[in-house]
Amino acid sequence: MSGKTNNKDNAQPARSALRTVLIVLAVVVGVVVYAYGWNTTDISLDEIQDQTRKESVRRALRELLSPDIFDRDRDEASFYAQFQVGCPEAGATIEQPEQGDDAYVVFSPSCADQDEIVTVEGYNFPDNAIAMLRLPREGGNNIPFKVMLGSSEDAKASNENIFDVDNSGYFKVHVKVPRHRDLEDGEIYEVEIPTISPTGLPRFSNTTDTVIEKMIETIFLALMATTLAIPVAVALSFFSARNLMRQMRMPLGPVLVGFVLLPVGGAVGYLLLGPLGELGIDWGEDVVPGIIGAIVAIGAYTLITRLAARLELDGLANRARGVVLNFLLLAVIVFTLGVLGGIGIWISDRLEKGLLQDLGEFVGTVGTLIDLMIAVLAAVGGAFWLSSLGSNLAAAPLRYVQEPLSNVLGGVLGFLSGAILLYVTALIGTQAVLLGLLSAVVAAVLGGQCAGLVYERLFMMENGKRQPRRDDTGTEQAVRSAVFVIGAVLAFLLAAYVLDLLRAIVDERPPSKREWDLILGVNVRIYLAQAALLGGVFGGLAGALSGTSVTFPLGMAVYNTSRTILNSLRAIEPLIMGIVFVIWVGVGPFAGVLALTLHSIAALGKLYSEQVENIDAGPIEAVQATGANRLQMIVYGVVPQIVPPYIAFTMYRWDINVRMSTIIGFVGGGGIGFLLQQQINLLRYDQAGVAVLAIAIVVSVLDYASAAIRERIV
Amino acid sequence: MLKIEHLTKVYDNGVVALQDVSFEVPTGQFLVIIGLSGSGKSTLLRCINRLINPTDGRIEWNGIDITNATDEELRLIRRRIGMIFQHFNLVRRSPVITNVLAGRLGYTNPMWSLVNYFSHADRQMALEKLARVGIREKAYNRADELSGGQQQRVGIARALMQEPELMLADEPVASLDPATSHSVMKYLESLNRDDGITILCSLHFLSLARAYADRIIALKDGRIEFDGLPEKIDDQRFRDIYGEDAVRVEIS
Repeated sequence: MSGKTNNKDNAQPARSALRTVLIVLAVVVGVVVYAYGWNTTDISLDEIQDQTRKESVRRALRELLSPDIFDRDRDEASFYAQFQVGCPEAGATIEQPEQGDDAYVVFSPSCADQDEIVTVEGYNFPDNAIAMLRLPREGGNNIPFKVMLGSSEDAKASNENIFDVDNSGYFKVHVKVPRHRDLEDGEIYEVEIPTISPTGLPRFSNTTDTVIEKMIETIFLALMATTLAIPVAVALSFFSARNLMRQMRMPLGPVLVGFVLLPVGGAVGYLLLGPLGELGIDWGEDVVPGIIGAIVAIGAYTLITRLAARLELDGLANRARGVVLNFLLLAVIVFTLGVLGGIGIWISDRLEKGLLQDLGEFVGTVGTLIDLMIAVLAAVGGAFWLSSLGSNLAAAPLRYVQEPLSNVLGGVLGFLSGAILLYVTALIGTQAVLLGLLSAVVAAVLGGQCAGLVYERLFMMENGKRQPRRDDTGTEQAVRSAVFVIGAVLAFLLAAYVLDLLRAIVDERPPSKREWDLILGVNVRIYLAQAALLGGVFGGLAGALSGTSVTFPLGMAVYNTSRTILNSLRAIEPLIMGIVFVIWVGVGPFAGVLALTLHSIAALGKLYSEQVENIDAGPIEAVQATGANRLQMIVYGVVPQIVPPYIAFTMYRWDINVRMSTIIGFVGGGGIGFLLQQQINLLRYDQAGVAVLAIAIVVSVLDYASAAIRERIV
Repeated sequence: MLKIEHLTKVYDNGVVALQDVSFEVPTGQFLVIIGLSGSGKSTLLRCINRLINPTDGRIEWNGIDITNATDEELRLIRRRIGMIFQHFNLVRRSPVITNVLAGRLGYTNPMWSLVNYFSHADRQMALEKLARVGIREKAYNRADELSGGQQQRVGIARALMQEPELMLADEPVASLDPATSHSVMKYLESLNRDDGITILCSLHFLSLARAYADRIIALKDGRIEFDGLPEKIDDQRFRDIYGEDAVRVEIS
């Protein structure tokens, strides 16, 4: 015991010495790293102090801070007076001018040698004009009189030739008689006094007009980007809210059934509902049949629901009713949407001229968009319809399935799901090399899952039953994680090998050139088949090991996917998105709108989802307890709580987008940024100053407004 | 008849909230569940309508297996089980009537309810239920403008919209003052007596439990410590339930 204490006492000074050394070392390393950073960033005092650079920056700043905001009309007029260069001995030989109401100039003295300083007084000149004195010469090479600073005795020459006339038309300047080889002493010269005088009231300059126009464009650019981002961001925000998604758990079986049925449902929707949507568009473009059709469709649907609700059905028949009604609803929605799109196109054809032209174009674009998207929308609708139908139908029988049948079913469903998953990711992967990694990442997740499940089977089972988690210790968790990581890495490498990703990366060529081949009489793209098989093996293994009845955190899977999308989207600078969209849709505000929309989706999605995570869970619980479905739970338990913060954050985003659009403009995204870039490139800093000022004003007004609104409604 | 057999709940963090809890509740009974905070009262009530999924065990209600119900079946079961909460769980920014109508969601066409459309009959019913709990005139006020007792009565009206056969009350008066507590408990008593609704109510105060319960179940550390008539709880039993240092606090 005492030995131990002794040891400790001895250890104490050694330890503190070691600590001191470590601290000193850390400081030294820190300084070295900092010095490296200093040099890397070219920090240089010479450049700062360089005289010409100082002069340039002074000029630039002066122009920037003397913005060309106002302008006014100006008159130009020239006046003449006589002046004798070199005084004759007898004195000046010119007469003093007549002192009337006309403009006249008095030189004192009225003759002087070259380089001598004379005082010039002018009377009855245009008020507030700027003027100069010069000796006109043939060929336009006029000789100016330099204006002196201060009175004649200790005057210094300035670089200015220009002087101001005061508001009563009087001026008094000291000028230096120019020295020039062509000037002859004793000769009387005609001095020209050109003036530029303001007339009329000050008005905004052309620069200001352009800036205001572009500023409005910018504000709307930001508004468009914000509003377009809202629907997607709202949807993603629910998927990215941990508190909502965590409770979404289902047995694995129905989840897999639903997943496998997604592509099938997509095909069904595309083939059955797509033509219906096209029909809606055709009829909508003729307006009357469209409107009648939509009314009939909605009416029929309402009638059928009413009638169907009267039937006392139970069990399977009840389910069948639900299935049919849901499909009918989907059909009615697709058809009506088509009709709306068609009507939009019709309206735009009618509103080609006049005040409503903008409205017509807008409606027409939306209509055309619906026209383009209707088949896809039908496919998505069909996919979700069949998927939820399948998983609901499968849920009841699957819950009574025991091991080992559940494992067999799990294996089959897992194989199909894994195959579909990797087929799709591989298809994406054929587009570009880096996207090819997606397949490997997905395979890694599946492989890690497999490894974890195998480990569980081997070491964590007792009497054929998985042990409850309360017995999990920290080490066991750590071991499980390690097993997962090892499995994931192995699966990643395997996928990379099978799909030949290394070659794709080195050759910078996506594997899209792979050959097609006949497999079982079907023409198959080998690459995709390999990926699907790989996914099938991993998926099948994972499915077989876990069985259909194990709880699958569907919500967390969606949560993680959605978060990943938001985070990677947010990681891409809007500037880069701007460049991509300029390539796609050309220079102009549309490119800026698209770039900012994409970025706003990510940013708003994140902000919104944080608001969802902060809501009071009580109402959700209460609404759930009444037997409401998930959508109702969101509408009645969540939405009322998040509307105020959503509005506030949308305002805030608009404000940010105005600021960002100035940057986007620099890469061709339109708006004031584009103008600013042009002005800077032309070295018109006085014009750039106007743009900068306008940005500052708009941003601070928006900032203030959005802060005020946030304060009031949050 | 509500049958609970070997109900066990272990949370993900390893906390054992309920351990092998079994009991039966005949239809029409006013059952009060008492116990210290953390004894598993709330978990037990939430397992019954599966706001919390039990780890093990079985809950059967009128012959329906609740524990194994699919999502769709569960919705149909839930809409016949009303629930009121300690913190009322109203949407504070919404009007009272909207909060009450939310109780009807299980019965309405999902599409219509998403756009906040309720049938005339449903709206009439909501006003009736509000009249029953004595706050008909507050129907169009914002929920958070009401006092605590009034908010809990909105909660009761919301549960009544479900036309429930069973009512789960999770410490319904724990956030209320004694006088208001009694008024809320009186409404529950009336639902039990006049409408024949089975009531499972968790309470902190033994005195309240005694005043209203047909039967008391006491939970301690996730197990049933006592199950019987209210008058059977003597001082010894009281200390068994609440611990040696507990002192009775009367709420009058």
